Amino acid sequence: MVTDSIANASISLAPNARDLPLPKKKRVRNSKLKQSKLDVRREQWLSRGAVKNKKWNEEDNRLDSVAIKAREDDNLSSKKINMREIGEENDGSVHHHSDFSDSPSNSPPSIGSSILGGNDSGPHFTGSSSSSSCRSSSSCCRSGSITEEEEEEEGDDDCLDDWEAIADALAATDKQHDQCSESSPRGNVVSQLDSCGDSRNELGVEDGDSGVQRGRIAQRASMNCRAWRPDDAFRPQSLPTLSKQLSLPNTDRRFGCGGIPWACGGVMSVPTSCPICFEDLDLTDSSFLPCFCGFRLCLFCHKRILEEDGRCPGCRKPYDHDPADNETNVHGGSPTFPLARSCSMISRS
Amino acid sequence: MQASRARLFKEYKEVQREKVADPDIQLVCDDSNIFKWTALIKGPSETPFEGGVFQLAFSVPEQYPLQPPQVRFLTKIFHPNVHFKTGEICLDILKNAWSPAWTLQSVCRAIIALMAHPEPDSPLNCDSGNLLRSGDVRGYQSMAKMYTRLAAMPKKG
Repeated sequence: MVTDSIANASISLAPNARDLPLPKKKRVRNSKLKQSKLDVRREQWLSRGAVKNKKWNEEDNRLDSVAIKAREDDNLSSKKINMREIGEENDGSVHHHSDFSDSPSNSPPSIGSSILGGNDSGPHFTGSSSSSSCRSSSSCCRSGSITEEEEEEEGDDDCLDDWEAIADALAATDKQHDQCSESSPRGNVVSQLDSCGDSRNELGVEDGDSGVQRGRIAQRASMNCRAWRPDDAFRPQSLPTLSKQLSLPNTDRRFGCGGIPWACGGVMSVPTSCPICFEDLDLTDSSFLPCFCGFRLCLFCHKRILEEDGRCPGCRKPYDHDPADNETNVHGGSPTFPLARSCSMISRS
Repeated sequence: MQASRARLFKEYKEVQREKVADPDIQLVCDDSNIFKWTALIKGPSETPFEGGVFQLAFSVPEQYPLQPPQVRFLTKIFHPNVHFKTGEICLDILKNAWSPAWTLQSVCRAIIALMAHPEPDSPLNCDSGNLLRSGDVRGYQSMAKMYTRLAAMPKKG
């Protein structure tokens, strides 16, 4: 049953036959598959010029994989459940990212901003951590399809679907991982663990938001080790909308890439210089995607534009229409709440 | 201020590099003021402006590229969307449809496109617009051609 659903997921994720056998060939080393999957995924990804936010997606995935590894390190015993947790969390962090990318002041490298920025996804997470299994299950279902609350918060934008889809895909992959690891082939994963644990920390710094987020995730997962299995009797019907995963076929490919992948993530079709000021885009800028039309520009220009008419130079639509931006606005109003949470999170991790 | 200056410098370099690439457009920066540019554009072929060379004056605001440059024809032109006396151009991308991603070069291209495809429904030159709106394409073309010959062609001899 589980295997079936997983297989389905991977099918829908990418109609690549390679994926299908993965759950069945339990003895196949993850790493190999991961690597090859990564390649395929990258190709697909690159070929999908129309995919918006692709850079971010990728980053998320990378982070996810890292976080997962790290967590595997942390608690190998409760690993499989954790995995699912991650999947569920991805959702939040994904939104997070989009939000992140929208606010120019939140440049990824700054931890402070990341902590502050952690707020928007916070509300769901605390909720889910406090109430154990049912909550996590609902969040799991969120990864399948966004729950109402989140939808409200995000504002309905079609672009959400992509994030959603990522989350879906990741959730599916998590399960996949689960299975694989159940049957023991976590050797290589474990071997990567140390570096991954480190890298998670690094991520916390480098890409503060998500890093912090992940930290929280990891803990939460350890505390709350329950999520919907695909064959769960009480699993909400609304769970994985597999059709959505079609929109992002390659997410699970990227999954197992270990700790390295974000290093190669910059190879995407990102312009080397800002089309507005013609200055070279640095690392932060090139991972900054303020508008879902895919028009990239540097943070400085984005800020200047926001101060003026606030329309994306690429599509001439106001930047405010981005759901992520809305999210920032919505949650920006309550700075104390998120701050407290992120502090506690830090202390825990 | 600084940003616009830097951007204009970059555009200047770009223009130097692309000079050969686009023979219809010649963008020249004022020697002493980078916010003043002039452009020479060739009238597009198969239009009454063919064979003419039209001079444009760019006045770039300090908020450029967030604000569009002000462009006007220095050469007289008989076109529905160009003011006959002032040379003012009625073009959306120079007003509300401006995007910072546009460059002076792309503005020139847009103006060439406008010359080939006049919009008689938002005329600055009513005579020209009325000719087109009343369907007198021949009248419009001959008038435009005459003015091209009078104003935009090098005097012979």
